Amino acid sequence: MQRNMRKTVKLMLLFLTIISLAVLAACTNSDSSTKEEGTKGEGEDTKGEATKTEDGKVSIEFWHAMSGTGQTSLDEIVANFNESQDKYEVKAEFQGTYEESLTKLRSVGGTKDAPAITQVFEIGTKYMIDSGYIEPIQKFIDKNDFNADELEQNILNYYKVDGELYSMPFNSSTPVMIYNKEAFKEAGLDPEKAPETFSEVIDAAAKLKKGEMYGFSMLTYGWFFEQLLATQGGDYVNENNGRTGDATEATFNNDEGRRVFETLNTMNKAETFGNFGTNWDDIRAAFASKKVAMYLDSSAGVAGAIETAPFEVGVAYIPYADEVKRNGVVIGGASLWMSKGIAEEEQDAAWEFMQYLTTPEVQAKWHLDTGYFAINPKAYDEENVKEKWAEFPQYKVTVDQLQDTVPGYATQGALISVFPESRQQIVTALEDMYQGKDPAEALDQAAEETNRAIEVANKTKQ
Amino acid sequence: MTTVRAPGVWKRSANLRVGFLYLLPSIILFSVFLFYPMIRTIYLSFFLTDQNGNAAVNVGFENYSYLLTSPAFLNSMKATGLFVLYTVPIGIILALFFALLANEKLKGIGFFRTMYSSTMGISVAASSVIWLFLFHPSVGLFNRILLAINLPQIQWLLDPEWALVSIAISTIWMNTGFSFLILLGGLQNIDEHLYESSRIDGAGYFYRLRRITIPMLSPTLFFIITISLINAFQTFGQIDILTKGGPSQSTNLIVYSIYREAFINYQFGTASAQAVILFIIILVVTVLQFKLLEKKVHYQ
Repeated sequence: MQRNMRKTVKLMLLFLTIISLAVLAACTNSDSSTKEEGTKGEGEDTKGEATKTEDGKVSIEFWHAMSGTGQTSLDEIVANFNESQDKYEVKAEFQGTYEESLTKLRSVGGTKDAPAITQVFEIGTKYMIDSGYIEPIQKFIDKNDFNADELEQNILNYYKVDGELYSMPFNSSTPVMIYNKEAFKEAGLDPEKAPETFSEVIDAAAKLKKGEMYGFSMLTYGWFFEQLLATQGGDYVNENNGRTGDATEATFNNDEGRRVFETLNTMNKAETFGNFGTNWDDIRAAFASKKVAMYLDSSAGVAGAIETAPFEVGVAYIPYADEVKRNGVVIGGASLWMSKGIAEEEQDAAWEFMQYLTTPEVQAKWHLDTGYFAINPKAYDEENVKEKWAEFPQYKVTVDQLQDTVPGYATQGALISVFPESRQQIVTALEDMYQGKDPAEALDQAAEETNRAIEVANKTKQ
Repeated sequence: MTTVRAPGVWKRSANLRVGFLYLLPSIILFSVFLFYPMIRTIYLSFFLTDQNGNAAVNVGFENYSYLLTSPAFLNSMKATGLFVLYTVPIGIILALFFALLANEKLKGIGFFRTMYSSTMGISVAASSVIWLFLFHPSVGLFNRILLAINLPQIQWLLDPEWALVSIAISTIWMNTGFSFLILLGGLQNIDEHLYESSRIDGAGYFYRLRRITIPMLSPTLFFIITISLINAFQTFGQIDILTKGGPSQSTNLIVYSIYREAFINYQFGTASAQAVILFIIILVVTVLQFKLLEKKVHYQ
């Protein structure tokens, strides 16, 4: 017995040692990675050896959040790049939605395990700049005398902070108003001339409302509110939309913001506004099945609307308040960020790939495949784009609206690190208002909650 | 001479030490995967975190006092409570009903047993997507049916009055399979002789149900009530897919609110505080259950 017991104890000890070793190893691993994170920054921009493929090419990772047609198109573009030269190899990896891939980036950002290029949505811009994970693109533009002037200025404006370009714009979209031309004819409206101001939209919606068809709708999503605010020249936060300093307070409950809420409220009360929730597919299905005559969509949704709707589709600029001039739209979508703390060769590879992406041919393909803007306007002179535009003049409207935009802090877009949270507050405010809450009250509450988020973020910033 | 003296502490505690050794593997595993995260959560709940989720500013109990006065969080607690009320009793009664039906010895009963438990085989994500189509405001099946029989259509997931009910319906459907299977297992374990002798005594079906089936099934029922309650408190997948906490926060259950606070807003401090509050709620409910309900459980 005694001996047996001793044997068991010995075995158990062995087992324990193995487990504790494994645990220790895991711990030290995470320790070292946090240390690396801690030491990054101070002058040390690159480190380590570049990863290479068997035939000696520098291999880099490219994290993106494109699914569906975007992913197909992007994979083709990456394959074309890899074939076009023999020094670099880009591996495109889908990492889930923008939120998910950003969460993953947080755990490897600033270390040598970080992907060379990451696609981050526009409202993550402030976070990325503050994170210390990244190398501003401006550095490579200056070093290589890259001519950034040929890119679309209205898009560059968004990603420029203090005159410095931080990331390479890639997939950009803006909102547009999409409408059912047949319904316009039936309601006695001019199908070639969509309503332009809030009051015109309210009137048209009343005329269009018929049976099951609502006059107007908007996805319950903060982005559209931001756009309707910006086109009136209204700022979202103070410090000139966070562009001249760290924003400390939300300003979207100003007159411009109230007008947006009042307009939606008027239509909702008159039952000419259809609420189709927070899901893009639902509102698009509602439009295609004639449940709503006009709605706001992303320019990237124009192709789909034309394709699926069994009627003629019109595309127009987003409406603005009667009291003000039209300012235009803010860029949405995502841009590509260069990692800091990876090997220099890898950064070179990433830069090479980004340059390739800005060429007119690639941008023309991207624009036609997905409906996103070409960041290089020369792409619009490519033959295949011209052909498509001749067939579908609606595409051109989206580009015109972007190019007509008046540059200013409002249309440059707000810069705050708590944007995702603030958007959620706007969604809640809209939903509360559709349920009967006073528009000004709902908006004030969203501003209050946003203020708290900004305050917490500023308090914890190191 | 140690052998002469009475055994020392070291020797007397031999059993204890060996016992500890046996326990060590699970203690280590629990520490790594349960205790450490838990302590870390409690620790973080007293801080505001920076953008990388590291503790930055110690705020003491401020996160808690903020939550307990925040209308949004109180609303989450209310929604969670309602959700538990909607799903647990109905889900269990439904599962019990099906289990009693499927416990009858009939030809081809195996087919029905498989059907009733089949929802267990579908993942939350897949079934939520199916429900998303059923609930669709303009092309969904439910609204088509309502339209066909001339009833006003319902905005299942868009109307704050209905959204929580809609999610409860889909959750009951998803969870019935599991409860059904466990309850059926419990029913099959009841000794046939009990029924036989009661039949000889002339007891009717409902008398047998009340006096034999339910008491004999009570350990299983107790288990399933406890599990269902905890599950209901932790519901996440269907919320994320069907409503994302909306409309007007009406389906923003605590777990979803934790997720949003932590992984969309990156406020791990307040998220941790919410997690601790949820933990306390579940703990209290479970303790109450053991205190109040377990007395009525009949163990053989």
